[in-house]
Amino acid sequence: MRALLLGALLAPAAALACGYCVEDKVAAAYDHAAVSSALKASRTVVFFSIDGPLQSGDAYRRKLESLFASTPGIEKSSVRLALEAATVAVAFDPKRANLGQVQNALERRLAPLGLSLLPIRVMERPGDLAAVRRR
Amino acid sequence: MKIPAWAAVPALCAALGACQPEKPQQQDPYDLSKMDLKPQPAKVTNERHTGAFAEGAALSFGPELKPLDPNPVKTIRLDTTHKIIEIAPGVKYSAWTFGDQVPGPTVHARVGDKIRFSMTNRSDEPVPGVRMTAAPMMHSMDFHAAMVSPQDKYRSVAPGQTIEFEFTLNYPGVFMYHCGTPMILEHIASGMYGAVVVEPRNGYPTKADRQYVVIQSEFYAKLDPAKRKVDGAPLYVLDGERLRAAQSSYTVFNGVHNGMVKSPLAAKPGERVRLYVLNVGPSKTSSFHVVGTIFDRVWMDGNPDNQLRGMQTALLGSSSSAIVEFMIPEAGSYIMVDHHFANASQGALGLVSTEVKPPVPELEHHNMPSIASTPTDPETARGKLAFESKCLACHSFGQGRKLGPDLAGVTKHESDQWLTSWLRSPEKMLETDAHAKAMLKEFNNIPMPNQNLSEAEIREFIKYFHWADSQPAGSAAAPMAGH
Repeated sequence: MRALLLGALLAPAAALACGYCVEDKVAAAYDHAAVSSALKASRTVVFFSIDGPLQSGDAYRRKLESLFASTPGIEKSSVRLALEAATVAVAFDPKRANLGQVQNALERRLAPLGLSLLPIRVMERPGDLAAVRRR
Repeated sequence: MKIPAWAAVPALCAALGACQPEKPQQQDPYDLSKMDLKPQPAKVTNERHTGAFAEGAALSFGPELKPLDPNPVKTIRLDTTHKIIEIAPGVKYSAWTFGDQVPGPTVHARVGDKIRFSMTNRSDEPVPGVRMTAAPMMHSMDFHAAMVSPQDKYRSVAPGQTIEFEFTLNYPGVFMYHCGTPMILEHIASGMYGAVVVEPRNGYPTKADRQYVVIQSEFYAKLDPAKRKVDGAPLYVLDGERLRAAQSSYTVFNGVHNGMVKSPLAAKPGERVRLYVLNVGPSKTSSFHVVGTIFDRVWMDGNPDNQLRGMQTALLGSSSSAIVEFMIPEAGSYIMVDHHFANASQGALGLVSTEVKPPVPELEHHNMPSIASTPTDPETARGKLAFESKCLACHSFGQGRKLGPDLAGVTKHESDQWLTSWLRSPEKMLETDAHAKAMLKEFNNIPMPNQNLSEAEIREFIKYFHWADSQPAGSAAAPMAGH
C-alpha cells in the first residue's frame, strides 16, 4: 500500500508539487557548498516540500534539523532546512537506499508532528536539478 | 413641391450610413486578439554557456542606447555571475549580476519583435585567487516586458544550468528585468536588474538626437564582517538589516555613486535628448529631474500613449519608468538628479553636458568629487563621501575659497581638537573661540551651519582631511561644486 501511495506521489513534477514556484522553494534550501560536496561523494540530493503545521522559532528549527539529520540513511551534514519556504534538502547514498525509502524513513519520524513530505526536485549530477519522475 | 425620387436616394444613403466610401477603421494597437500570447515552454538544460557573459545585437552595454537592430527576432544571452564591483570610491561591493555588469545590459527592441532568451547560471564559475564573491546560488529571470507564465519561464535554475525561453513584445515601454528568486529583495539589491526598451511598432512620434538609458537603484552595503579586502580595499557586502528597513547606503544612477558626474552624457546645444529612465528600487521612489530643462514630453512607463507635456519631474516608483525628452537650450552641464535630495546626496546624480569634460565648478549642486584619488581606509572613505555630499557647496580642496575656506592644508594649521569642536558645534565656537570669530568676519559673516554630525562622522571627516593633506600636490586639487 505504501509503495502504491509513493508511486502516486512520484508523478511528474508539475503535478507533484504545489504547482507554484517549485524552484523558488528549492532555491530557499539550496546550499551550493553542501550540494557540491554531496554530489562529489556520489550522493543524491533531494529537495522536499514540507506539508503540515510548521511552527517558527529557533528551537523548533533545531528540533526539525536534528530529526532530519538523525534519520538513518540521511547524510547528517547535508540537511538544509528553509522553514519560511517549507522546504528541506537532504543527501543520501543511492547505493544504500532509494528515494522512496528515504522519504518513508523521514515521514515515519515526522508523523507525530503532523508533517509529511513531497519530493520536488532531485540532483544526481552537478547542475542537474531534475524533476522527480515516476519510478 | 414634389421631390424627385432620385433626389431622395443620397439622403436615404446618408441616413443609413451606406453609399459612402468606407473610412479605414483605426486599428487598436493593443488588440489582444492580435497579440502573441502563446509562447513555447521554457527549456532547462545542463549545458553551460562559455565565453562572453552577455551576447546579442540588441544589447547596449553602457548608457548610450544602440540603434534598433532590424532583425525581428532578437537572440540574447544574459548569464548570471557573482563579482566584485565598485559602487562608490573605495567601496568594493560583492554583487550578483546579469551579463557580468550592474545594471545588466539594456535590451532594445520593437513591438512585435520576438525575444529569444537564454541564461546560464554561472555564479559557480571559479575566480582567480581567493574567492571574495558570494557563494553560488540559484537565480532566475523575470522580464516585465513579457506576458508569460512565471512558473514556466521565470523558474530558478541551479548553478551550471541553462534556461531558454522566448516571448513576443506586445506593448511599448521601458520595462525592468530582474532576478525573481527568493529573496527577491536581496537579488535586486545585489545588482540583478536591467532594462528592456520596447519601441512602438511604428517608432516614436519625435526624433531624438541623443538617447541614453538611466537606471536608478539603491545599494545597502556594510563592511564585510570577515574583514576581507579586495586589492587592498575593504570588501562590502549586503546589509540585510538596512535592506529590510529600506535604509540605503547609496542611491545611484547606472550602478555608481555620482557615476555620470565623472562620465557625463554628451549633448550639443539645440539637440533633443531622450532619456529612458527606469527606477528599479528595490524600495525607493525617484523624483527624476534635470536641472536647467523642462521635459517637453514625458511618456510614463515609456509608452507614448501615456504622454505628459511640460513636466519638471517624473515621479517613478519602484519598477516604474518614463521616457523624458528635453532640449539643450545652450552650452552647459545639465544635472540629472533625484529631487528627493536625500537620495541625491547618496549619489543619484549625473550630468548631460555639452562639454566632453564638463567644467565642474559651474555646477549647481554639491555631490561632486572632491579629490581625484580614493582612500582605502573605510572610515576615511566614508569621510570623503560625506564631505562630497555635505560640504562641496561651500568648500573646496585646493581650488580656492568659496562661501567658506579652501580646506587644503587644514590639518596643518588646525588641531584635531579644534576641528572636532568646530564640526561638533560651530555656533558654540563662534561664541567662545577667537579664531572662529575671526574666520566668520573674513567670510562675510556667513556662519557654517551645524551639520548635526555624530562623533563617528566627525572622526571620519578629520581622517579624510588628514588623508587629503597627505596626498601629493595637485592630486588634492579638487574639482568642486559651486552655486
